[in-house]
Amino acid sequence: MNTLFSVIFLICTALLLFVSPDAFLETLLSGASKAATTCVSLIATYAVWLGLMRVWEDSGVARGISRLLRPITKKLLKTDEAAALDAACMNLSVNLLGISGAATPYGIKAANLLDKTPNAEYSSAMLFVLNATSLQLLPTSMIAVRVSMHSGAPTDIVLPTLITTVFSTLLGALLVRLFIPIKTPDLAQNTTQYFRRKIAKTRGAGTQ
Amino acid sequence: MTYLFAAIVPCIFLFSFLFAMHRKVKVYDSFTDGIKGAIPLVLSVFPYVAAVTMLSKLLDVSGVGNKLEQWLCPFFQFLGIPKELASLVLIKPLSGSGSIAVLTDVLETYGIDSYVSRCACVLYGASETVFYIGAVYFAGLKRKKLPLAIAISLFAYLAAVLFCCLLCRFL
Repeated sequence: MNTLFSVIFLICTALLLFVSPDAFLETLLSGASKAATTCVSLIATYAVWLGLMRVWEDSGVARGISRLLRPITKKLLKTDEAAALDAACMNLSVNLLGISGAATPYGIKAANLLDKTPNAEYSSAMLFVLNATSLQLLPTSMIAVRVSMHSGAPTDIVLPTLITTVFSTLLGALLVRLFIPIKTPDLAQNTTQYFRRKIAKTRGAGTQ
Repeated sequence: MTYLFAAIVPCIFLFSFLFAMHRKVKVYDSFTDGIKGAIPLVLSVFPYVAAVTMLSKLLDVSGVGNKLEQWLCPFFQFLGIPKELASLVLIKPLSGSGSIAVLTDVLETYGIDSYVSRCACVLYGASETVFYIGAVYFAGLKRKKLPLAIAISLFAYLAAVLFCCLLCRFL
């Protein structure tokens, strides 16, 4: 992420230096102010959904959903961490309903909890890819846009959208499974990895 | 049909609150307690959202985004993605508000029930803003495989775009 950010940032800045150097600061400021307005609207969205989420937690609805989705979530994320699984279950179920505003708080919580588990690289990559490939069953906001623009058949897109989403989510999950190794919480493996990391670290320190 | 879709969210609230009252939960206290978490959560993601939006603005203003679009357009057409959709395809993983602007533009220019517009709607509904999700979910976490995960998501996204362009010809 650091390299990606730096490279894109440097290329754009260098180019802008030739085209119009005075636009640089203005661009950054407008980007930041857009981020500020985004975050203000995020506060509003999260306020609505986090409120509902707490009501769900207190009334036991959240526990019910978790119990229902736990087997499949456990299989997908390859982790045994109970609290992280609960958050991930909520994240996935809310995603399926198409309420991405409510899914994000749970996703962040799950990602933070998964971070401390031994298999974190795999689990969090899987969680991220599932979210980034969009899981929703019904494209409700898209239907609303089509209705507002007087489409003859606003719900025409439901089936293709569903097929496309399922396709991309399956493909993403498959690729994660293929390219990111799963670490079993096996003691022997952990020790070898520990030493490997240590060796890599000393080598890295030598070259830098 | 559309009424039914619009009714989903209010129904979720209605039944949740009724069920909570049935379980003797203090709904008001519980609801406000949940809202309390909103501001710290947004504060924790703000730096990452800010950095990503600054970068996407910079891409836009410096003309790198445009250049990229010009270079990728023949490649997209070769793959079977209509050229009218090129800018939407490129902006969707980067920016939510940017892509809704481009989407509205496409829908207005080509008519809501045209092939291109249906493609645009499916594409918009079946994908997410990958970089934004990456920035928010992994705010402050140091995961080595994050670039790989982003690459996988983008690949799946591109495959989904191709798939939906094909699908909309038949459905």
